[in-house]
Amino acid sequence: MHRIEIEAEVDLLALNKKLARENREFFRENGITVFNIMGAIGSGKTLLIEKTVEALGSQLKIGAILGDVVCNADYERVAKLGIRADAINTGKECHLDAHLLHNRIKNFADMDLLLIENVGNLICPVDFDLGEDYRIVMVSVTEGDDVIGKHPEIFRLADLIIINKVALAGAVGADVDKMVEDARSLSNAEIIKMDLKEGIGFDEWLNFVRRAVNVSGNSGKS
Amino acid sequence: MGYAEALLQHALKLAEEKGAKEIKKIRIAIGELLLINPEQLKFCFSAIASNTIAENAELEIEFLKAEGKCITCGKVFDSIDSTTYICNCGGLIEFKGGKDFILKSLSLEV
Repeated sequence: MHRIEIEAEVDLLALNKKLARENREFFRENGITVFNIMGAIGSGKTLLIEKTVEALGSQLKIGAILGDVVCNADYERVAKLGIRADAINTGKECHLDAHLLHNRIKNFADMDLLLIENVGNLICPVDFDLGEDYRIVMVSVTEGDDVIGKHPEIFRLADLIIINKVALAGAVGADVDKMVEDARSLSNAEIIKMDLKEGIGFDEWLNFVRRAVNVSGNSGKS
Repeated sequence: MGYAEALLQHALKLAEEKGAKEIKKIRIAIGELLLINPEQLKFCFSAIASNTIAENAELEIEFLKAEGKCITCGKVFDSIDSTTYICNCGGLIEFKGGKDFILKSLSLEV
């Protein structure tokens, strides 16, 4: 036996990058605006999708892909609204990746807007481009007002930051202004203070969605 | 763990192509913005590499720096720490790079 050295120079993230590019090309060719909705567990991602479909479903063709560790709880909530939806069980993987989406997105070719709900996690999804147009990052005051400062990378790369459940801030002792300041120190992205159950910030969200879809030029499809 | 699994899979494939009996060392370059803990990566790798030709492989890790530049004043930052996302002038620092995970080379016993 003897020892040899071999050069490799293998980019271990190359496959995800390649598939994300292919996903992105598919979305662009078919005029679909795609949101990657990321955020903490319980931050309100599924409710945001439900409310968006209720508000805009008659004006836009909206589809949803929902990732979750096991079971289809989030998918079932959204599917009840009658939209085209798909569920992905990620098992022990704590994030969606471009590969998981790659073969499913062809079912959404005629959508104006595709809402992808990522697994509830502020760390792992960051490094995995899905081919989306916008990264929406959602947290809620109930996670503690230092949650943004503790997870800088996901907020740094966000296109929109939502701080949800603001009506509960007093009850849990969370300083929303601090959360906004922490977000502002990481990103120039728009920040929406929201409470979906009280209707706070929802109009701002709908305006963001409308602007995003119009930028992609899909508003006439349906 | 996902990174460790991808690393093992690629290392074994390359080693098997050369008919290797053992992988002695794996050199990797990791972007600092991936925020991967090297000790944890080594631990996860050793856990999944057992009973493979990589089970005694040493991981040699080089960290690749991200390049940061203030979008307001243009000041350049050649590394990050956990708090360096805003410049002294108050502007945001935009980062390029620092996100790669590269299997550089292998030392094999053949």
